[in-house]
Amino acid sequence: MSLIKYSCNYSLFKHVLQNNTIQKNSTRFLQTSSVCLKNQAGRYRITPKGDFPLTYEMANPPHRIAHRKAWNSWNTSNLDGGVRSAETAVEDMFIRKFVTGTWHNLFASEVIIKRQHNIIRIAGIITRGLSPRKMYFLIGYTEELLGFWLQCPVKMELQTIADRKDIVFKYI
Amino acid sequence: MLKIFRIIERNTIEKTCLCVRYSSTDSSAEKRDEFRVLNIRKPKGRYQERKQPRTLNILPPRSESMPVDQDWGNVWPGPRSFHPATVPLPVRQGYVEKSGAPPSKYANAELVKIPNFLHLTPPVIERQCNALKQFCTPWPKALDTDEKLEKHFPLQITSSDYCFSSPSIRNPLARIVTLRFKLGSLGLNQRAKDKFLRLVGDRYDEESDSVTIVTDRCPLKKQNYDYALYLLTALYHESYNVEEWENLKTEADMEYYDWLKNKSKATIEKLFGKPHGEIENADVYADSVDKLMNEGENTYTLDKYGEAVRKLLNLPTKIEIK
Repeated sequence: MSLIKYSCNYSLFKHVLQNNTIQKNSTRFLQTSSVCLKNQAGRYRITPKGDFPLTYEMANPPHRIAHRKAWNSWNTSNLDGGVRSAETAVEDMFIRKFVTGTWHNLFASEVIIKRQHNIIRIAGIITRGLSPRKMYFLIGYTEELLGFWLQCPVKMELQTIADRKDIVFKYI
Repeated sequence: MLKIFRIIERNTIEKTCLCVRYSSTDSSAEKRDEFRVLNIRKPKGRYQERKQPRTLNILPPRSESMPVDQDWGNVWPGPRSFHPATVPLPVRQGYVEKSGAPPSKYANAELVKIPNFLHLTPPVIERQCNALKQFCTPWPKALDTDEKLEKHFPLQITSSDYCFSSPSIRNPLARIVTLRFKLGSLGLNQRAKDKFLRLVGDRYDEESDSVTIVTDRCPLKKQNYDYALYLLTALYHESYNVEEWENLKTEADMEYYDWLKNKSKATIEKLFGKPHGEIENADVYADSVDKLMNEGENTYTLDKYGEAVRKLLNLPTKIEIK
């Protein structure tokens, strides 16, 4: 009797089960596991102690955008017939990187970028880790440099909170 | 094992004690000009107390000290992101799964995201309109009806400007210019009108008697506008222009039936012995024959034709058979 290798073909499998003589030599089957396609971006796991702080933005996963939370970028580029969509996306990413780096460890919320005509408004909530003088300097610094690079007026509109706990929406 | 651990512990304690002793004898060693002992952990004398973070003197929210009868337009003069300390409204935003109040306005990023119109309150809009009034001119009194408007301003030109968020104000769609006018306002004669309609094709709308010309082939709005006016001029003059080959058109080339140019007219005139303008009911007959030939034979046109023939020849009207 020749040695036969079998794949996990169901009909062959059935055939093998019926003929016991061949079954002795059928040694191999492929094993497959269930497919694991899971959306994980923007979702947070529950911790054992339940003490992981979430802001409102973090508490709502991406599919809740436009239902429970709003976008972080507001512009007309991605509307029907909008222009400069690619440039706007790249510029927004650049602004986010620059702002988080300049205001290091101060932003408690996400950087919100709103565009109206040629004005770019950068909004957000920061902690009071700086003296007001330094904060005013950083506001001017950010507005001036971004305005020079992007060639349009930039405005920083910030709110401050005393403690990072103020912005916590829930603990998981 | 326990014993060993204890021994190790004792050793470490003794060592640390030694260290302390060394450091305590440090100052006396300096005096004797000997080598100083480097103590990395705790340099003596230079120890500074840790700076306590300064507590900022934060003022209470501005909205708490606002008078009730203040002018809101001065507090919020232009478009701006929401700020909880300035807006004296107890607004809340956010979705809470379990029963409870939505997040308050303080430290609420959702309120910052959405566009607000706090700078456009009704009194502010009224104030701005009053300021703009001095630049407005009254509507001309002579142009009180739509008919007069159409008569004096027959050309209607439409183009669009676009507002969008971008550092540039250029939009490629702004170049398109639409020119619209009534065909009757050109005052063409019948032949020229026929040629004009052939030239414009489906740009003519029969219901409203209007011609629409859309130009978008040039990159700028001004160029497209000029091109549209050029097209109008060219169409007008071309429709009056008669080419030599146009006179070669015979009866067989006609697109529609014209009673005045046909055999039927000649027959009627021969029958009555006078020109068709003098024959009674000849215009009704001509009209019915035109319709019969142009619209095709159906009950309506055939009935009209029968009636017209009876009228023309003074025959009695059709007898209804019961």
